[in-house]
Amino acid sequence: MQWAVLTAAFLASAVEFVEAFTIVLVVGVTINWRSSLAGAFGAAATLALIVATLGVAIVQFVPIDVLRLTVGIILILFGLKWLKKAILRYSGLKALHDEEAIFEETRAELRARGETIERRFEPFGIALSYKAVLLEGLEVAFIVITFGSSAATNVCNNTCGISSAAIGAAIAGILVILAGLLVRAPLTRVPENTLKFVVGVMLTTFGTFWAGEGFGVAWPYADAFLLVLAAIYLLASFVLVTTLKQHKQRQVALADATQDSLETPEQEVLH
Amino acid sequence: MKVIKAIYNFIVGDMIILIGVIIAMLILALIYNVAALTPLRAISGVILVIAVLGVLSATLLREARGKR
Repeated sequence: MQWAVLTAAFLASAVEFVEAFTIVLVVGVTINWRSSLAGAFGAAATLALIVATLGVAIVQFVPIDVLRLTVGIILILFGLKWLKKAILRYSGLKALHDEEAIFEETRAELRARGETIERRFEPFGIALSYKAVLLEGLEVAFIVITFGSSAATNVCNNTCGISSAAIGAAIAGILVILAGLLVRAPLTRVPENTLKFVVGVMLTTFGTFWAGEGFGVAWPYADAFLLVLAAIYLLASFVLVTTLKQHKQRQVALADATQDSLETPEQEVLH
Repeated sequence: MKVIKAIYNFIVGDMIILIGVIIAMLILALIYNVAALTPLRAISGVILVIAVLGVLSATLLREARGKR
């Protein structure tokens, strides 16, 4: 079992599944649960098929060095994308993901479309649920394949890495479904941005490590250097969050000052 | 074209990150394939980490400036 791979896949999946769950929930309460679950399970089966076929094919047919380099580059790209979003949200430059708002917005759209609760399978509901789970899950499937396949070349056999990642994703999926069944509302308490931040740091760390290895970089202390890389990225991220927060405060202060200076003398008298 | 755009949005969706990472990889490829650059191999790991941090900072800076 590859614990680092399992953890990364678990966290990444948790974020995406919480987002997908909101749409599944809204379809369930607005149209019907039968259509919503049919779409969600259909998408889950599609994702499992993608991971099984593409993952095994990549591990078996792509040479190790090429695989590490390619996976490393893809993970850096994914990691930086996630890290950027999380840092922007922490610093207040981007609004936090609001599941409650998305739930209400989608429900209003469905009601405006004239959708009502019915017992039979509703193609639109199935399609909406399927699309939400597939789109959110596709990124996770990609992370499972890339992360798992590269880990498989280090310690485990060919399918061990992908299995670890798939188990992590499946646990996250089950937990989100269970939490959803208990709460029966959008999962607003899940710290989505923190999860995104942690996954971003993990993906960037492993991506840098594997891309470097793909080129032939000899990292000091071998695999233990992953911790050093994670610490560097974590520290840099905190510095960036602080800097961006200060930048935003300066911008707000500047805007206030400009607003004050634009006020006419008459307005000042009125004040 | 639509397919390429969809793949770009799916994998990265940010031109600074994409170009920055490509440049970093090209630099590493040069270091490991050009004999004159062999002395730089000892610090290639450091170069990669600095490049990744540089790309992250650049894209965040662009976003911060865009929010004015």
